[in-house]
Amino acid sequence: MPYFGSEETVKELKRALSNPNVQADRLRYKNYITRVIRYMTQGLDVSSLFMDMVKASATVDIVQKKLVYLYMCTYASDKPDLALLAINTLRKDCADPNPMVRGLALRNMCNFRMPGISEYIEQPIVAGLRDKASYVRRVAVMGCAKMQSLQPNIEIDPSIVNELYALLRDPDPVVVVNCLRALEEILKDEGGVVINKPIAHHLLNRMKDLDSWGQSEVLTFLLRYRPRSDDELFDILSLLDAFLQSAHAHVAVATLRLFLHLAATHPAVQADALQHTSSPLLTMCGSISRELRFAGLCHVQQVMRSQPGLFAPHYKRFFCAYSEPSYIKFRKMEILVELVNDENVTLVLEELRSYCTDVSPELAQVAIAAIGRIARTYSEKCLNILTGLLALKQEHITSAVIQTFRDLVWFCPQSTAAVCQTVEACVDCTQDSEAKQALLWLLGEHGERISSAPYVLEVYIDGLKTELSSSVKMELLTAAVKMFLCRPAETQDMLGRLLHHCIEEESDMCVRDRALLYHRLLQRGVEQTRKVVMGPKSDPSMSVLTGHQQEPVSQWVSNFNTLGPLSAQDLCFQTPLIALPEQPSNNAEEELLPVSKDVSPFIPTDDQEELNLYLGPPLSHEAFERTWLDLEVQHRETLSYTRPRITPDALQAALQLAKIQTLAFTPGDTLPWKAYLYTRGNRTLILAELLWEDPDIEGSLVVTVKQQPPNQHALRGFVSTLSSVLQTLDIDS
Amino acid sequence: MIHSLFLINNVGDLFLEKHWKSVISRSVCDYFFEAREKAVEPENVPPVIHTPHHYLINIYREKIFFVSVIQTEVPPLFVIEFLHQVAETFQDYFGECSETTINDNVVIVYELLEEMLDNGFPLATESNILKELIRPPTTLRSMVNTITGISNIGQTLPAGQLSSIPWRRAGVKYSNNEAYFDVVEEIDAILDKSGSTVFAEIQGGIDACVKLSGMPDLTLSFMNPRLLDDVSFHPCVRYKRWESEKVISFIPPDGNFQLMSYHVSAQNLVAIPVYVKQNISFFESGPSGRLDITVGPKQTMGKTVECVVVTIHMPKVVLSANLNATQGTYNYDPVTKVLMWDIGKLNPQKLPNLKGSLSLQSGAPKPEEIPNLNIDLKIQQLAISGLKVNQLEMFGEKYKPFKGVKYVTKAGKFQVRM
Repeated sequence: MPYFGSEETVKELKRALSNPNVQADRLRYKNYITRVIRYMTQGLDVSSLFMDMVKASATVDIVQKKLVYLYMCTYASDKPDLALLAINTLRKDCADPNPMVRGLALRNMCNFRMPGISEYIEQPIVAGLRDKASYVRRVAVMGCAKMQSLQPNIEIDPSIVNELYALLRDPDPVVVVNCLRALEEILKDEGGVVINKPIAHHLLNRMKDLDSWGQSEVLTFLLRYRPRSDDELFDILSLLDAFLQSAHAHVAVATLRLFLHLAATHPAVQADALQHTSSPLLTMCGSISRELRFAGLCHVQQVMRSQPGLFAPHYKRFFCAYSEPSYIKFRKMEILVELVNDENVTLVLEELRSYCTDVSPELAQVAIAAIGRIARTYSEKCLNILTGLLALKQEHITSAVIQTFRDLVWFCPQSTAAVCQTVEACVDCTQDSEAKQALLWLLGEHGERISSAPYVLEVYIDGLKTELSSSVKMELLTAAVKMFLCRPAETQDMLGRLLHHCIEEESDMCVRDRALLYHRLLQRGVEQTRKVVMGPKSDPSMSVLTGHQQEPVSQWVSNFNTLGPLSAQDLCFQTPLIALPEQPSNNAEEELLPVSKDVSPFIPTDDQEELNLYLGPPLSHEAFERTWLDLEVQHRETLSYTRPRITPDALQAALQLAKIQTLAFTPGDTLPWKAYLYTRGNRTLILAELLWEDPDIEGSLVVTVKQQPPNQHALRGFVSTLSSVLQTLDIDS
Repeated sequence: MIHSLFLINNVGDLFLEKHWKSVISRSVCDYFFEAREKAVEPENVPPVIHTPHHYLINIYREKIFFVSVIQTEVPPLFVIEFLHQVAETFQDYFGECSETTINDNVVIVYELLEEMLDNGFPLATESNILKELIRPPTTLRSMVNTITGISNIGQTLPAGQLSSIPWRRAGVKYSNNEAYFDVVEEIDAILDKSGSTVFAEIQGGIDACVKLSGMPDLTLSFMNPRLLDDVSFHPCVRYKRWESEKVISFIPPDGNFQLMSYHVSAQNLVAIPVYVKQNISFFESGPSGRLDITVGPKQTMGKTVECVVVTIHMPKVVLSANLNATQGTYNYDPVTKVLMWDIGKLNPQKLPNLKGSLSLQSGAPKPEEIPNLNIDLKIQQLAISGLKVNQLEMFGEKYKPFKGVKYVTKAGKFQVRM
């Protein structure tokens, strides 16, 4: 902070403080000291007054003492030799009959951060630990930790550690908590304070006497304790029960964390605790303080990872109020996307629709992205909204909508037709490079469905000289090549111009290299190029339909109630999309590389253990195809069921429950109907095909199973799981 | 835990710093200023900022940022609530928590911060205990102090610190024994254009002022306790009795405290006290628009709605407003684009109306976004949820105390969409 005339001010203060007349008048003297403190807090260097301030510490006035101590604590490390002069007064104060003075002096003496002070403070601290006033004991306990931090290399004094462990039984609750805090700091290198059974139970019984801060910290310390038996566990949990409803959010959340941690092997107890805490968490989300509201939302988000349905009935609580800051609105929208179900989808979409026209373009874009996410499950409704938004002709809205379209087409191929129809309308008003890239990708990938696509590309190619962004140029190259492959007659000429320009005149190396790559590729022949450039048109893992996956609590509990989830920056939907390993335009490169990473090595073991199916890492279409072709048929069986007559989503969900992933299936009623499934179990990868050719014969569903490595036991288990799922579906339909 | 605290005003001047461990240079706040710059509005600064060596956790209250510096992993809620506690203590001591009062009372501020945290850990935060350690300034006392030079500090240790009930000091004596309870409810609601409720809930709390001698044991019961969805209590309340009998049984702290807070959210239970008929339109041709708002009472249970204030954040292109209010006064601030209409009491016979034209920036396109209305109101002697206190009984002491209950309903985040 710029401060004018600072030297003059310090000089004037120095003169005043050493003036005997001023020193005689207590009030005037104190006023000057107050002024010194005020300048100090404003960032002015008043360290040159140290000598005068030390003199002022010899007083009976406690407030003046406090001020001088504050001053000395700030500057003691700069002037260690002068600070030693003050030690005497402080040590005398440590023996004062007033416990407040004793505590004050001891605390400030420990706060002097200068070398060599520890030899002076050790004796008063040890005396303070046995003081009869709890106020002094509190300060002394903390003093032990401060002393340790002043000389980090010196060995820990075991007698002090023992004394602190003994003081855990102190009648004063703050002393107890301070002991924990101090021990934690002193024993930092050895892993902190040890919580054994007697200490844990002692702390649990003292819980209700502690102030909320103490409770919260004790709950954190108790995370280290593992109960020996289930009986002990449930005793502890019932002691903690009341704290789940604490008036202080931080205590309630800390209790929940401990609950989840202790009951790691009892999922029912965990679920119950989450149920119990849902209302305090919701209250926190409606708190007056926006910071608490934000923290509440972050915690709700974490809980939702394993209990997605818990907050669904309260979805209206997550509607944004007009006056809320954007970081809260972003979180609320993220939560709303997760909460959508068949009943509330109309209202949630209506709500999100109203955010799309918000004054803040950032917020509008996030809202549009949120609708795009919901569109993966409820595509029709969302597409209507998104198309409606295009009619507003607002640049930032159009840009966000096009980007959303791109992601949607990738994840949700059934929406392609509708998107292709509408995308032509927004060709004229895309300005920013993100939107241009998205539009070009759509044109290239689905050029055969958009009649005007080549002409739009031509406009871009003609305007190439004025285009600044190199990523747009790269996208344009890819789009033009793709377009050439499906509509060669209309595109050949402009592609030639584009390649010529990019190779001959372009200054950006990346763009030029890409153009050269395509040029050489085209020289090898159209078929070769097609093989390289054309990838799958939608997300091969089909993660779309999987919907809300329930994660086990253990996935997130380790950073529940920590800073991590709150400090993640407020970028919501864009990041996960960008971070996807298989971004559409990268397919060409990936195809060129030999992919082997998807097929994890399995070690065959011959065992008869119980079969546990699990999904494991998602398998891509290509990897599936390759593996399928490589393997021999292990098992073929005709099951006595017909094709399940339910919607694809329901079939997928039903199989997912049995931990079987559906990779692809024939849409609608076309014949023959096929479905490809995979799962993992007992260290083997199981691939299966369901085939239903003839509608006239009842119960002619043929299942073909391939395995890597072969494991007959797992195979039998898989077939029986599959047929029980099909049986259930058969009855349902 | 909490290493340092910086107080920064809303224009970005750092006016107070306090370190509980080693001194951390002010330059750490540069990360905060960067985030502040990015957020544009002060409310938009994210509460947790990550820097290479520290975490900065901040709250924004009364136009002041309380920025705390953290070096180790801590539960974030703990720090956020603690910072609010600091702000509330200032409010409690100085009547308001503003830059001016903090600067005027810088000495007490330092004393308080010193007592509230030691080595970064909370030490004494209960206002009861703090007030005995450091007396709050009063006009009279500061005058007396100026004359006599006596400082406002307790000469003995607060006895309450050693009593078996940590929230109550021992040996309390009053000549007038009284216990007052204020049931304060805030309605948070969003209404849509047609007046139907998009979302509504009630946040309620019971604030108590108990000045009773000795160790009284109180029991407070309600006529309709099942109404409350979600309650949380002051640590003094015996939770088991609430669970089994739905009564609040407690030994109260001395003085002012919040006994409980609760939440009513079942949609059908939330009565909406006012309705708004609003119409705002901007014309395609000509730089103008029309505004017409009428406010009237709805479900008020026979009570008068007072202190009604309607606030509208207008679109940026609105230059000025030429309106006519049948009741109260209106004011349009062309800089912040906020139209504020202070109505006062609602008269059901003659509904207040605000009508007139808005002039827009010439040449600007018709605004896309439709502004929302925020409403502030107050109803005395009514808890809108219908919560009623049945009786207050006292055990453990012989005297007969004065008892009283007051009800107030206020608008929290009450918003009407146009």
